[in-house]
Order: sequence, then structure tokens, then C-alpha cells
Amino acid sequence: MAILTVLWEKWIEFKHEWQKITVTAMISPILYLLTFGLGLGMDKMVDDHTYMAFLIPGIIALTTMNASFNAIGMSLNVQRLYEKSFDNVLASPTPLGQYIIGQMVGGSLRGMYAGSLILGITFIFGAPIQVNLLFFLVMLLNGMAFSALGVMAAIVSKTHADISRFSTFVILPMTFICNTFFPVANMPPLLKGAVQILPLTHSSGLLRQISYGEPASLTSFCILIVYTIFFMVIALIKINKSKNL
Amino acid sequence: MLEIIAIEKKFDNKKVLDNINFIVNKGEFFGLLGSNGAGKTTMIKLISTLLLPSDGKILLDGKEITRNNVQIKKKITTVTQEYTLRGDMDVDEIMEYQGRLYQMPREQRKKDSKNLLEFCGLMEHRKKRVRELSGGMKRKLMLCRALLPKPELVLLDEPTVGLDPFSRRQIWDLISGLNQQGMTFILTTHYMEEAQMLCQRIALIDQGQLLEIAPPQELINQLGNIAINVVTPVGIQQKYFKNRERALAYAKNLSDPFTLRETNLEDVFIKRLGKGLD
Repeated sequence: MAILTVLWEKWIEFKHEWQKITVTAMISPILYLLTFGLGLGMDKMVDDHTYMAFLIPGIIALTTMNASFNAIGMSLNVQRLYEKSFDNVLASPTPLGQYIIGQMVGGSLRGMYAGSLILGITFIFGAPIQVNLLFFLVMLLNGMAFSALGVMAAIVSKTHADISRFSTFVILPMTFICNTFFPVANMPPLLKGAVQILPLTHSSGLLRQISYGEPASLTSFCILIVYTIFFMVIALIKINKSKNL
Repeated sequence: MLEIIAIEKKFDNKKVLDNINFIVNKGEFFGLLGSNGAGKTTMIKLISTLLLPSDGKILLDGKEITRNNVQIKKKITTVTQEYTLRGDMDVDEIMEYQGRLYQMPREQRKKDSKNLLEFCGLMEHRKKRVRELSGGMKRKLMLCRALLPKPELVLLDEPTVGLDPFSRRQIWDLISGLNQQGMTFILTTHYMEEAQMLCQRIALIDQGQLLEIAPPQELINQLGNIAINVVTPVGIQQKYFKNRERALAYAKNLSDPFTLRETNLEDVFIKRLGKGLD
């Protein structure tokens, strides 16, 4: 099954680079925790919860997003445009749908790995949040959505710089404005409307609801699933139909 | 049997292949010759579905080769002109990945991989990452990778570029042996000796147009079996003759130094395509 082949390939990638992957995944989230959590928001309350309890789910969401997107978007972009090793996959009898799903699962697992590391660190320092199986399921779904976006971005990009630009214009703004460091309710109405349709807003919101012990929003679940399918279908169409991939 | 039917390929409205038609028979060693930019690599990429045609179609055993035709794609592998290897994988992992991509059973991919790596002298380097290999080793590894799934059709786009003469002959032995066992090959190369030795038929392509398909000896016969190189003050000029007697009769009247030799495929290339090798 091609999905397992892709997962094997992602495992080999991880096996060779796990130290670098681990350190890279932890740097930004730890800096965010120190700067925003301990530095700026130590004594603040948000919706009757400590700022730290508000912040941690947001950081877990953005960490899984970044790790999943980078694990697939950057890697596939290099394989397609620099190493050209994607040519060998494209010429092989690998069903392309399965290839994309394999990338999504692989990317999502990398996202979960990064998210779990941060979660572990926050627990060591007594994170005031609840975590259950659903919490990990949301991390997985969030990773799937952004891995699918990574596949799409890697396939659409025409140069290496394109994927970095994509990251700068799409991933970076989401990191800061999508219900991660401050509540969406505090935003101006027009911007609030735009932010509320973005996927990270929903994964952040879902993780926060679960960590507060509140019921998780079914709408947010559905929105994440729709995004995942949308990115996957675009990537599949592009790989199938593009005459000069 | 591979059928190329009315293939046309455009890049940004520039036609690089125009109405290409030919058939490659099962078990044949077929050459595509042309100067740089003639369209050979584009043709290889179209057969392997790395590119899709602007018009026309390509059939293998009567079925159209498309990106999603998994059953047909199982029968084809490619050695591309550029290195297409994962830099972070080691030699064993590259072979393992290929075996998995072609859905080979575990035992078979291990055994066949070992045999191929041994033949190509890569066994002692099997734990080296691709980025640590020399250009020649990478080239051999790409060939091993392509041969691993025992495909029916192998597309070789300049497979021996950068190899030393010994390695090149080793590769020729390997692929000609496999050809004799029934494997079909399509080869593009700038080594005319390679094409002349391996190919049963050759297609000459120039600026996206198919000029002629014939066995190498027939192409040589058309030009004349004997060549005379005449060293003149303005350079070396070639003259071709049907046989040695006619060549010697011509040579009698020459005042410039000359050499007499058999015509080869390089002469055909230069004469027919109007330019030297790049």
C-alpha cells in the first residue's frame, strides 16, 4: 500500500534527522511561552482562565501547524525542484491519491510529535490545562489540514523561494492572529470575520475548549475536515493534470 | 509494444515535439539520437508521465500510459538524465524505497537489490548516504534502482554520462544481457559508440521532428561504409564512399594528408543533423 511506503519514507527522513527536527520544533514555541506566557501575561486573565491556560493550547496548535507544514511543504518542494527525486515517485506506479494521503499522515505525525514535546514541557512546569484523547485527535486533524496545505504549496510552487514566501504570507500571519496569543473577540470586526474562517483559529479554539474541560465545537471540527479535503483535492488535481510538473 | 501516436508537446506555445509517431517492439533496444534541445529528453519524460503531451497519446501493450494507470506504470522505469535521488537516504534505502514504490515483495526486493548492487560494485557503499557518493556511483545507483522492479520497458536518458570507460562497459554488459532476456530499452545518448553497439534501431530527431528510423548499419550504409578524413588547411573534411575501392581511387588524387577508416554513427549524426556533438 502506497500510504505505508510514504510513511516509511517519512520515518527514514525522521530517523536521519531527528535531533535537528526535535530542536527546531521546540525553539519557537519555547520562545513564545517565555515571551508571551511568562514575560507579558504572567498576571493576566482571559475568560476567567489564567493567560497561561489560554496560551498553551494556542501554542500547541501553531506548533503542530508549523511542524506539519514544514515537514511536507519544505521537504516535498526540495524533492520536486532541487533533488528531483519526486520525478521517480511520479514515474512509479504509486497511486497519487494514496501518495498525498501518506504525506498528510506523515506530516501530521510530525506535527503531533512537535506538539507533544511542547505539551510535555508545559506539563513539567505545571501547565494548568486538561488533556484527553480528543485533544490529540484535534492535533492530528490540524496536522492533516496543514500537511495537505504543504503538499499543495509544494506542488504549486515554481521555485524554492515560493515556498518561503508562502510561509511568510500564509503561515506566519496565522501563527499570530488565529486565536493563538489573544482571543479573536478582541479583534476589529472586519478582521475578526476574516480570522474566523481560517483553519488555525478553529484548531486553536478546539484545543482550548478541550483543555478548559468544555464541549468541543462540532462546527470547528467540520471546518477543519473541509479544509483538509479542499487542500488535498487541489493538490491531487494539480499533480494529476499539470502537464509540466 | 510501445506506440507513440501523433505526439505533440509545447512549452509556452513553443513546439518542442511535432507529430512524432513510432513503435518500439517488445524486446527491442531502441535509440533516440539528436543534438541538445532536439526533444529526446522530452520524449522520455512523456513516456514516463513526468510530462503530459499537448496532443497525441502513448500506448504500452495497447493501453494508454497516464499518471494514474498504475498497472501500466508498473512495467516502466526510468533513468533520468539528472540525478533524481534522495540525498538524505543511503544506498540501501534508495533501493528499498524503489522496491516499495513498485510494490515488490520484501524478500525479492532484498535479494534483487543485493545482486544489482554487487554487480555494479556498490555493495561496499551501501550504507553511504547519496550525498556522499561520487557522480559515477550515483549514476550506477540510478540504473540499479531502475532495474530492481524487473520492468518490461526501461527508459535510459543518457545513462552513462560521467562514468569511466570500465564502468560504462560494465553497464553495457548488464543492459545488453537484460535486453537479450527480453527487456525493452529506449536509450538517448551522445555516445555514438554506445548507440551503435546497443541499439537495434535508431530514431534521428532534429528540432522536435522525427527524421528517420533505421538500424544503425542501414544509416551508415546510406552515407557510405568508408570514410576518408582529409586534413586541409581549413580543417578536416570527411568524404564518404560505398566501398574501399572507390575511396582508394579518390585518395590517389589527394595532395593533402588523409586517413581512411570505416564510417560510424557519429558520421551519420554529424552529416544528418548538420552539427557536431555538443
